[in-house]
Amino acid sequence: MLEARNITVSLGGRRVLDGIDLVARPGRITAIVGPNGSGKTTLLRALTADVPHSGTVSLNGRDTATARPWELAAIRAVLPQASALAFPFTVIEVVRMGLRSGTSGGREDIAAAALARVGLAEHAHRFFQELSGGEQQRAQLARVLAQVWHPRAHGAPCWLFLDEPVSSLDIGHQIEVMSIARDYAAAGGGVVAVMHDLNLTALFAEKIAVLSEGRMLAFGSPSEVMTDAVLSHAYGCRLRVNTRPDKGVPFLLPHAAAGAGSIPEAAE
Amino acid sequence: MAVMDFAGGSAPAAPRDRLHGARRMHLVLGLVLAAASLASLGVGATDVSLWDVAGKLLRAEPLSQLERVVLVDIRLPRLAMGIAVGGALAVSGAVMQGLFRNPLADPGLVGVGAGAGLGAITMIVLGAMLPAAIIDSVGNHLVPLGAFFGGWGSTLVLYRVSTRHGRTSVATMLLAGIALGALAGAVSGILVYMADDQQLRDLTFWGLGSLAGASWAKVAAALPLIAAALAASLFMGRGLNGLALGEATAAHIGIPVQRLKSAAILAVAGATGAAVAVSGGIGFIGIVVPHLLRLGTGPDHRALLPNAALLGATLLILADIVSRTIIAPAELPIGIVTAVMGAPVFLWILLRRRGLVDL
Amino acid sequence: MPRLFLLPLKSLAASVSVLAFGLALAVLPGGARDAEAVEDDLRVLSIGGSVTEIVYALGQGDRLVARDTTSSFPPEAVALPDVGYIRALSPEGVLSVNPDLIISEEGAGPPEALDVLHAAAIDWVTVPEDPTAEGVAQKIRAVGAALGARDRAEALAATVEADLKAAAAKAAAHDGAPKRVLFILSTQGGRIMASGTGTAAAAIIGLAGGQNAITEFEGYKPLTDEAVSQAAPDVILMMDRGGDHGAADDELFAMPALVTTPAAETRSVIRMDGLYLLGFGPRTAQAVSDLSAHLYGG
Repeated sequence: MLEARNITVSLGGRRVLDGIDLVARPGRITAIVGPNGSGKTTLLRALTADVPHSGTVSLNGRDTATARPWELAAIRAVLPQASALAFPFTVIEVVRMGLRSGTSGGREDIAAAALARVGLAEHAHRFFQELSGGEQQRAQLARVLAQVWHPRAHGAPCWLFLDEPVSSLDIGHQIEVMSIARDYAAAGGGVVAVMHDLNLTALFAEKIAVLSEGRMLAFGSPSEVMTDAVLSHAYGCRLRVNTRPDKGVPFLLPHAAAGAGSIPEAAE
Repeated sequence: MAVMDFAGGSAPAAPRDRLHGARRMHLVLGLVLAAASLASLGVGATDVSLWDVAGKLLRAEPLSQLERVVLVDIRLPRLAMGIAVGGALAVSGAVMQGLFRNPLADPGLVGVGAGAGLGAITMIVLGAMLPAAIIDSVGNHLVPLGAFFGGWGSTLVLYRVSTRHGRTSVATMLLAGIALGALAGAVSGILVYMADDQQLRDLTFWGLGSLAGASWAKVAAALPLIAAALAASLFMGRGLNGLALGEATAAHIGIPVQRLKSAAILAVAGATGAAVAVSGGIGFIGIVVPHLLRLGTGPDHRALLPNAALLGATLLILADIVSRTIIAPAELPIGIVTAVMGAPVFLWILLRRRGLVDL
Repeated sequence: MPRLFLLPLKSLAASVSVLAFGLALAVLPGGARDAEAVEDDLRVLSIGGSVTEIVYALGQGDRLVARDTTSSFPPEAVALPDVGYIRALSPEGVLSVNPDLIISEEGAGPPEALDVLHAAAIDWVTVPEDPTAEGVAQKIRAVGAALGARDRAEALAATVEADLKAAAAKAAAHDGAPKRVLFILSTQGGRIMASGTGTAAAAIIGLAGGQNAITEFEGYKPLTDEAVSQAAPDVILMMDRGGDHGAADDELFAMPALVTTPAAETRSVIRMDGLYLLGFGPRTAQAVSDLSAHLYGG
């Protein structure tokens, strides 16, 4: 279990996060959403101990502030939003960098399997920098998967922390990547993802944390937090949420935002 | 708990593993280094022949005084120093490039070069003003000591400046290094102004680098530091690979980033400081060797660092053979040889592999 | 950093250039060639241009097996193997010419090379340096003693000392005011590197009856343009590097530092071979006379 208590982060004298509590359980995807500048990414970085913060974060009962890098690396992997690579490594070499630190140390075949899982098996020996932006993002995901390949290890869950994992992907790969995250959770692992796309979030996440101006505005299932009131407040504009009647999954069309146009409102 | 459905998809075995290839290069480069070492012992201005000496040793005949002096007092310490300095320069370059995530980084960037230069110049120009007791006790090692402490001291200053709350900012270090380099250059300029004609010429020759001053005393002084730094670098391979992904990601895959940075900076300061101290300023080895290896066998530091040590040592020995035979009985400063050999090779690489070098 | 300072030094080294043969023969004392017979096969390495000149002047040139880079006179010396620059000797290079005796000017190095050569049990004689008539005589005596040619050396020392004193006295007795002479070591990058006091250049200027234009510092230093103007030299003295002097003079006197000086007005520049001018060896009396003649005429 991931348990964050009273997380407060100040950057450059400005309070970016203010007293956030967040609990994420293994077996499901927990999404963090919110408008630009609401502190989503900062919260993720606090959860992965990358920014100085007050409050406590514990992962599987271990305080991340005092844990050693290699101890944390064995139970959680982090996909950054943007990644640069300094030297001409090949794709498979990048994926292998995830190995050995996690629970699956030394298992070379895992790297190849992880690459296949993101659909890049045939690009294994190309140079990472030669890939397109979306391919690079998937290759990084393969590295992250390889690090904590088994969703549960030694009786405890492993965790994926994903910062906007689908930001530079086309719709097909967006769904593919979100499916990978869902499968990981379904197999017993934990997934915490910062998300931009509310519809994808509603479709895949079991729990959603809505941030606004550094505070937790709402936390709950998609149908609990994706309401007109919460989202309109969070994003500072009037939004209308709809629901697919067959599955009960809420969705949102920008056309439905107030003043967005003359498209007739969908039936409730 | 194996999750077969999650591991779905075909998992082709890696057909071309550059790391294995790079590790096989250890043996090849080791053999080349051994051959170069034999050549270095066998070639020189005098006609002392390794073959004759080996024969005499086998027959238990005494060596002539010339043979003993040339082999034991000149060529052997020179070879040992060449191996140590070449390895130190190449590995320091590779480590710095990994640390700064920049293929053009150089130990000079962290102030080792500037500090060592300032230390050496200070000793050349002002050494005679030191109390006689100090001069007597260190003898001929005044300039090497000045270079070493200058390099080491400036690195520590930079390290302190760029470390806040236990985190070292590589970018701050780079900028502070430039500032300190400028300061050292200015102070050196003042000292040069004070220098007399002979001291000026000493400065020139020191700046061009040479193994001509090789002696067992210098080998004994430099080798332990360089050996310790090279040994430490063997444990930095995975960490430097991780740093290629950025500091945050390196930490995420379990690398103790701050510890790695401290160790890398201290190792480079020690190895470069010692190398510069005993041999003066020898350029290009630290840039060309890691670059050649990255193009040849890939950027994986686990293999790159040992290969750099072997190739750096080999190239410096070969450069030294050229430097002491091409205008024998005089000697060309080795810094000229490495630059003349290194610069065109470097340009050729850049032209040929333009696309990849940018990476 | 130190590399920046290579340029002026390089030009200094390059200036040690080939000399006029006639001049050489004129300076050699008569009969030097058939002086004291060389009784042994002592192999001698001479380090330093003036030492090499003295060895030849003592008729001991046949014993030389090698020389250093600064030994550019007499022409026979140039044909000998060159063991490198006096401050950067290569120990194996020195050993390769298999010398029994090394005679060197002050300041040979590096120290490690000297250690090895001492270990090889090669006799090493360092000759004292002093840019005066007495100093030259001392130098000649020291070289002669090392070579076992004391009598010959005594005679040569006496001649050279007397000649030098006579030349200096003659130079001092010139008509008119003493000329202010600026010795320029190099003009690399538009910066004038000139001689202050305590240098061989200052000494030879004094002996030739001139007045060193710069007395504010010791040694060779770069000067600001204004300091050069302030020094107001009547004559520029430089080392001869060959080439087209006309064009070189135009370039020289076009420098902002020099354009206002009396020397530029009269286009007075004297170029002499570096070793001849600054070596303080057997030819120095002649060099003093030459320089004085250039300064004050005939």
